[in-house]
Amino acid sequence: MTRIFLYFLCGFIFVLAQTALIPQILPFALKPDLLLILIVYLGLNEKYVRGGALAYTLGMFEDVFAGHYLGLYGLSLLLTFLVVRGVAGRLNTESPFLLLLMVGGGTLLQGGVLFFSLGFFAEAGPLAAVFSWTLAPQVLLNLAAALLILQLLPRLQKILAPRTEIPGLRCLHKTNAS
Amino acid sequence: MLDLLKKYRTPLLSGILILIALLFYSANLRSQEKTTIFERTVLQLTAPLQNGISFAWNSVSGWWHGYFWLVDTQRNNARLLDENRHLQAELSRLQEVALANERLRRLLQFKEEINLPVLPAQVIAEDASSWFRTVVIDKGLADGLREGLPVVVAEGAAGRVISCASRHSRVLLVTDASSAVAALVQRNRTRGIIRGQGDNLVFEYALRQADIEVGDQLVSSGTGGVFPKGVPIGRITRITREEYGLFQTVEVAPAVDFSRLEEVLILLKDPPQ
Repeated sequence: MTRIFLYFLCGFIFVLAQTALIPQILPFALKPDLLLILIVYLGLNEKYVRGGALAYTLGMFEDVFAGHYLGLYGLSLLLTFLVVRGVAGRLNTESPFLLLLMVGGGTLLQGGVLFFSLGFFAEAGPLAAVFSWTLAPQVLLNLAAALLILQLLPRLQKILAPRTEIPGLRCLHKTNAS
Repeated sequence: MLDLLKKYRTPLLSGILILIALLFYSANLRSQEKTTIFERTVLQLTAPLQNGISFAWNSVSGWWHGYFWLVDTQRNNARLLDENRHLQAELSRLQEVALANERLRRLLQFKEEINLPVLPAQVIAEDASSWFRTVVIDKGLADGLREGLPVVVAEGAAGRVISCASRHSRVLLVTDASSAVAALVQRNRTRGIIRGQGDNLVFEYALRQADIEVGDQLVSSGTGGVFPKGVPIGRITRITREEYGLFQTVEVAPAVDFSRLEEVLILLKDPPQ
């Protein structure tokens, strides 16, 4: 229960940062999708049903602040979670590099799902023009944000909850400790 | 049967979740013009925090730039920029009035057309994603706002209200890919539709033989049902005429600098209560 609350709290903070803080700091219109990074992390460390429900709920939350198609991010983050979860069983989920790789792949996948959902179901205008120039920088931005989180999280955890370990990031914790 | 269900429990549940998500998304596309209770509640709960972050950031950056960094230069620059914005808006308005006079339109009628009650609002947050262009403003249903109202700034059209909570609303900017505004070339009244392309705009359905030049100003035609006639939208930056085809491709730079959108005006079709 505590873990679910923490995921929601993280999601809430990430959405606030994406809407109110990051646009003021970055000099361009693009911003990292922190919620996607959280969903990829969930995909690597949570079970199907719990993680799926969490991904969908967080996606619905993002929908209130992104675009104007309620349910679009719910669908895209759910699919991203399920794909990451599907391949996670065959990989070493304790590797931070895997998280980075999955964030890159997840961004491309999410872009594809959004493009497909908007193109086939909604009257969304010249999507190709927007996606063609946004997708590559978005991947780079998300990777940079994931890298920054990987660097900061063990330090934050050491200050806030020194006796606990973050699932999937134990390796970083050990590296920092040594 | 039960064994089969147990065996394929995870893929089945995943499939059901995807189906529910897809059905919900597609069902919502039909009632897109209305703000749902879920959206209203989340907006209401999060907007004060966004407002706080925005205020804190502006205070810190204002202190840094205004007092610590460049005291006089920053103040003078802000004053001159503000003056420049107002002069540009005034020039654009006068051009529109002069053209309307030339076509023997009554000035009073034209003034009445654009003379709507307005409500100023502050932009407190931006879109959570990079794919869409929306902002959150600090006025809502309680201030007389409703979905569909046009939002402008001194330079021209900014967007339209798409969802309202009691004290906050979301605005779809004209640069969003799903935004479309009925527009015309101010110089020769060529009609078309302006669509968003992320950071730029594109003027669609302008006939190939229409006399359009780079630098031409585009204004709202008033036929789209959102913006009143004559609101500046942008300037033509590039024209491509293919050898064949009915229309020309016209790229437009928005009149509004959306990267620095801070205060906006909502045109109220009815005066606030």
